[in-house]
Amino acid sequence: MSVYRHPYKEADFVVRHLLAFDDFCRDNTLDDLNSDFCQLILKEAEKFAAHYLVEQNRQGDQQPAQLIAGKVIETPGFSSSYRAFIEQGWPSLSASEQYGGQGLPNLLAVACNEIWQSANLSFSLCPLLGQGAITAIERHGSTALKQRFLQKLVSGEWTGTMNLTEASAGSDLAAIKTRAVPEDDHYKIFGQKIFITWGDHQMSDNIIHLVLARLPDAPPGVKGLSLFVVPKYLVDEQGEPGIENDLRCISLEHKLGIHASPTCVMSYGDENGAIGYIIGENNYGLHYMFSMMNHARQGVGVQGLGVSERAYQAALEYAGNRIQGTDRAGNSLRIIEFGDVRRMLMLLKSATEAMRALCYYAGLETDKKNAVADNTEQSSQCAARIDFLTPIVKGWCTELTQELVSLAMQIHGGAGYIEEAGVAQLVRDARILTIYEGTTGIQALDLVKRKTLLDDGAQAKLMFAEIEQTLAQLRESPGCDVMYHNLNTALADGRAALSWLQANPGESSCVAVYYLQMWGYLTGGWLMAKSQLIASTLLANESPDSDYLQAKLVTTQFYAEHFLVRTSTCLASIKAGGDTMMSLSEQQFFSHVN
Amino acid sequence: MKVIVTVKRVIDYNVKVRVKADGSDVDLNNVKMAMNPFCEIAVEEAIRLKESGVATEVIAVSVGPKACQEQLRTALALGADRAIQVESDEQLESLNVAKLLAKVIEQEQPGVVILGKQAIDTDNNQTGQMLSALTGMAQGTFASKIDIQGDKALVTREVDGGLQTIELAMPIIATTDLRLNEPRYASLPNIMKAKRKPLEVKTAEELGVSIKAHTKLLSVGAPAERKAGIKVADVAELVDKLKNEAKVI
Amino acid sequence: MSILVIAEHDNDSIKSSTLNTVTAALAIADDVTVLVAGSNCQGAAQSAAKISGVSTVLVADNPAYANQLAENMRALIVELAEGKSHLLAPATTSGKNIMPGVAALLDVGQISEIIKVESADVFERPVYAGNAVAKVQSLDAIKVITVRTTAFEEAGDTGSASIEEVTAICDAGKSTFIGEEVVVSERPELTAAKIVISGGRGMGNGENFGLLEAVADKLGAAVGASRAAVDAGFVSNDMQVGQTGKIVAPDLYIAVGISGAIQHLAGMKDSKVIVAINKDEEAPIFSIADYGLVADLFEAVPELESSL
Repeated sequence: MSVYRHPYKEADFVVRHLLAFDDFCRDNTLDDLNSDFCQLILKEAEKFAAHYLVEQNRQGDQQPAQLIAGKVIETPGFSSSYRAFIEQGWPSLSASEQYGGQGLPNLLAVACNEIWQSANLSFSLCPLLGQGAITAIERHGSTALKQRFLQKLVSGEWTGTMNLTEASAGSDLAAIKTRAVPEDDHYKIFGQKIFITWGDHQMSDNIIHLVLARLPDAPPGVKGLSLFVVPKYLVDEQGEPGIENDLRCISLEHKLGIHASPTCVMSYGDENGAIGYIIGENNYGLHYMFSMMNHARQGVGVQGLGVSERAYQAALEYAGNRIQGTDRAGNSLRIIEFGDVRRMLMLLKSATEAMRALCYYAGLETDKKNAVADNTEQSSQCAARIDFLTPIVKGWCTELTQELVSLAMQIHGGAGYIEEAGVAQLVRDARILTIYEGTTGIQALDLVKRKTLLDDGAQAKLMFAEIEQTLAQLRESPGCDVMYHNLNTALADGRAALSWLQANPGESSCVAVYYLQMWGYLTGGWLMAKSQLIASTLLANESPDSDYLQAKLVTTQFYAEHFLVRTSTCLASIKAGGDTMMSLSEQQFFSHVN
Repeated sequence: MKVIVTVKRVIDYNVKVRVKADGSDVDLNNVKMAMNPFCEIAVEEAIRLKESGVATEVIAVSVGPKACQEQLRTALALGADRAIQVESDEQLESLNVAKLLAKVIEQEQPGVVILGKQAIDTDNNQTGQMLSALTGMAQGTFASKIDIQGDKALVTREVDGGLQTIELAMPIIATTDLRLNEPRYASLPNIMKAKRKPLEVKTAEELGVSIKAHTKLLSVGAPAERKAGIKVADVAELVDKLKNEAKVI
Repeated sequence: MSILVIAEHDNDSIKSSTLNTVTAALAIADDVTVLVAGSNCQGAAQSAAKISGVSTVLVADNPAYANQLAENMRALIVELAEGKSHLLAPATTSGKNIMPGVAALLDVGQISEIIKVESADVFERPVYAGNAVAKVQSLDAIKVITVRTTAFEEAGDTGSASIEEVTAICDAGKSTFIGEEVVVSERPELTAAKIVISGGRGMGNGENFGLLEAVADKLGAAVGASRAAVDAGFVSNDMQVGQTGKIVAPDLYIAVGISGAIQHLAGMKDSKVIVAINKDEEAPIFSIADYGLVADLFEAVPELESSL
């Protein structure tokens, strides 16, 4: 497969121009941070990824992690890459300086994560989960917990995991059975957790598990869950890993993709109970988990972006080299010269650009929130925007990724279906993205119910108003008429969808995914429209990189023509409502075989 | 002892160069630029000299337009202590670069100067040797090992027949070959620190060097292409073709 | 116009790179002098005198020049440069080591690795790892040039130049030769071999290069490697063929398990006949190979050896 090259001009365009990152830094007195510096960091991240992660991606696919004598042994080479990863300080990027982090904006973390995920999705999941553990302990843990665990999690010397799912508690966490029994200054944890990503490995000195469990007197349901820190090795007086805790990985899942990422069944307390420490207050576990959820879910959206970019680069290289057929003059043709291959490449290119714009935009919203004081009007506005964007970033980007990796394989023809070409791995790896961290269905329900109907469509309407402003600019800009027309129609579709849902809230669960998809195409289109305006202005001001900017005009236009128009089919399906899909009896589903 | 290490901003080695349609030059407009790979090796060697206690300060120097500050920042992120940019708008020829560097050396009085053996753009392989001639410092080109021992240095050089070791009187000028070391990657904390390290800008006038053209670029073209031949079915056919058609064995 | 060619030699005889350089010199002008600087190098001087087209051979026979140390050589050449219009040396590691310093001392530029002489002051040279060819004009009174040897034929051996001793002794005292680790091989030197067989990353490890050596022994060939194979630590750097390694142009070049990165192609694409053996039929090497064999090298190479 092609070498991976970071789309640094895209990243720079989004950061510098679309998001006006330099203004953000200046307004928030972030000392000497700016777009140039962002580029410097991303360039080094690219070098690291190219050297350590890209080749091991293939190896990880072929040599999955293995469970040997009770220990998970990761793919050969991963351990030394991980060591290099922490030596280079990458896990500390956005963590707070108090615990040894670099305190850089979330936007930079998003941009770097894109690079790790393009290079090696399986590998990238390990530090990503560490980030989650850091956030949970930093926000909600006691001073003692912070002192004991944060520094080494931030440095990456220790990694973290998230333990939510159990065999009968998947999307419904109310069914969690894992028990936590108080004892002295700690708790004893008993139970089994499944789907624990990077639940065991030998790459770090310790693994810090965050486990949702139920206290003896806890109320039933999700209101009775507490969150515990359960280290693989108990931390001794010197702060170093000591005695082994009573927990272990008892099996590994055999998965379709992300083979190098060990998905563990974790057993806690087989002997005397695993020692754990509570985070925050009793029975607030799920609440704390939710506070990290936006970050984690947006992170999965970025994974979709990373994989899509890699798929696009692979397809592009193949299309440019693969010779098939001849023209009338007898010259051989490369398949990139064929119309249908161009169609697919343009779909890949324009959609990836829209996803990047959306992921980075949502990423900077977190920085904007962090930059203002808590419990202020501004803070809650930012929070509402982040809450609204999260299911869109997660659901829409990862669904679109499925289409894109499939197109990348299609461009490869038969060669793509053969594992050697490498694109098959991307198709398999990508498939998990619409499933974990809340399926697309869950995201869509979240968007419709909590984020739209609950506030009477207030946040949705704020989004509409901002899109309206962009439309006004488009109307005045020569050459933007297709974008203007199609965004205008899409906006009308969005408003119509909102009205219909508000009038028919009972049917929202049936059409929620269409609503989510509609918002994805619309917000993607809005950001592509802004990009088009910026590119036109830069070109008019004779900005030097005309090649890139003219391509931007074309990809944004293509997006308007081929993706933005999809809002109308979303609207049509929304308006069809749930009647038809709910009208069959269960028996009738078998009517063709019974 | 100070070490001066030079870095050049060149087209990224992953980018395929295109010749301009009018044949005047290659098209470098808005292509990805990076530190010359041989300069990366030079920076690594300089940092190692500091880490091993031989050197006390590493100064990265680049001659070029403002944009080359990016490569100087990278050198600082890798571990150089300070940087000097000698401002020049055009692609200077090696001799002019060597003259500017000679002035910087005169000001800084380094014990060791390390340069890449060549830049992957013009492929000239000249500056280090010219600098040695201009400064009178001893020269160890194409180094695969640099061993400083007080007032002398042992330099192992990659030569056509194998390896050659020479002893040089300090101060020295060395140019790097591929096997000298494997360059590190800049760590995130060091990238952060690089923001605050000093970067000084000098001009040719300040250094008292007048720039002179020694060559004129008349045109640039694509190299002659070699066409693909035929595929043979097996070793027997290959041997037959080599014997009877190509007549080379 | 009068040209001075700096000979590359081993004191006993002239190396073939000198012959290519003389051909380049004769393309510029007829008056060609060859400098043989060395220690006990009369043998080399004798063979230089036989190079067709050379009018005079200058011999500087002194321990100061024994190992062609750059500081001493450049000082000597600058002394001999008076009245010369061009100073040429082969673009070998030795020529590259010496000539830029000569140019700097004369306050002129150097034109590196020319592949074509257009006129007395216009030359072609590859740039950007051979992805482009630049035509450059020298603006200096004395033109200091290195010559890519593969781009010029070897001069003949029918000459009878006069030999003149040079008495100048230039010993800068800056550097001392300590030792050399010459790769001892029964096989011909890579840059001089008529046949070269090279291995790439596909060889898997250094031991497998034994397969190539077996073929090389039958063909009297030299063994080379791609940068990928060198970087992977399979073989040493002096075997590297490519833009940053050795440039070769043998009659037959056999590339085994080499994908054909542009960097490698730049070092061997002037070979007369190119054979590629690779199991990946998409490998770029096939696009320049005269004969391509899509096969597993671990089967094809032993078979090739046994059928020779």
